[in-house]
Amino acid sequence: MKRLVACCLLALWVGVGAASDEGNALPRGVIELESYPAPPLRLEDMDGNAYDLKEDRGSVVFVHFWASWCGPCREEMPAIQRMWNVLEQEGLKIALVNTAEDEDTLFTFLAAHAPDIRPLMDADGQITEAWKPRGLPATYLVDRAGQVRYQALGGRPWDEAAYIDFLRVLLAEELD
Amino acid sequence: MKAWHLGRYFSVAALLGAWMNGVAADTSPAYEWDSPQLHIRLEPRTPEQMAAFYEARGFGQTMIDILRAQCYITVLIENLSRDILWLDLAQWRFTNTDGEVVRPDRNYWKARWQAMDVPLAHQSTFRWTLLPEQLDFRPGEREGGNIVLPRLGKPMRIHARFARGEDREGAPIDVAFDAVGCAENPE
Repeated sequence: MKRLVACCLLALWVGVGAASDEGNALPRGVIELESYPAPPLRLEDMDGNAYDLKEDRGSVVFVHFWASWCGPCREEMPAIQRMWNVLEQEGLKIALVNTAEDEDTLFTFLAAHAPDIRPLMDADGQITEAWKPRGLPATYLVDRAGQVRYQALGGRPWDEAAYIDFLRVLLAEELD
Repeated sequence: MKAWHLGRYFSVAALLGAWMNGVAADTSPAYEWDSPQLHIRLEPRTPEQMAAFYEARGFGQTMIDILRAQCYITVLIENLSRDILWLDLAQWRFTNTDGEVVRPDRNYWKARWQAMDVPLAHQSTFRWTLLPEQLDFRPGEREGGNIVLPRLGKPMRIHARFARGEDREGAPIDVAFDAVGCAENPE
């Protein structure tokens, strides 16, 4: 029932237009998937702290794959930082997976682009492979039930209102 | 999966281009093909550019030496249509005056790196710099990556075919580039 209410909210939001592309339902560059269980994602962050996506079950998780050599990734990261500054306190979880780089590379990069974000280190790139992104960067939105529901292709301006409002609709969904 | 008009986004090719242009002066020509449905840009990369990129990622010298000997063409593809356009590199033909130029695909490289015990991280980074073997380009989508070919010293003709529509039953789009050369290091 609560999910139905959230869907109605989404429909209402869509009706307003919300900077989506030509009246389509979603912010530009976001596509809806046939939902499927999120692949395993167990990694350590730069400080050696363990992370397991399964432990975020019950939360909406922004799963993002990136590399510092990837130009669109570099451009997108500050927007992700600004989005998270807003939505972290509203319950959004974030899993920023760096693909196959080392800590030294990331330390320098993040200090300049997203100082508050602690990326997960996919040191050998195998977790990224398992998620099968179309390219880098890639973002998946995992709902409270642990289902991958949406994918964003390429870098997106996540701090713009259309994207934040869309994420808020997801955050408004509750488990049945 | 539902298809939406996505606007323009940018991925690996644009980024490689931006990074590599910072590595060395880019003196090689680019080749472009435009239609209302599709934009393609081919940009040959010099061995020096590619070696610098991979060296900066920590690749070992043996791997660098192999990579330096190849012909790289960074390909950027943008779907300007409202249909899905299907990239399938198996449908691309590379020819020179001697006949077909055989393109080693990503499975070839995977097997080669595995046989050399190349670190998985370097295998992964290399894979992400390649143009996907297959991809369903969504309306508005822009993606790219490198094609790696043998360096044969002769200009090539590149013929690409894109199937159209969700069921791939639309009229295909054929694209051809003539006299595409591998980029050489500046004198």
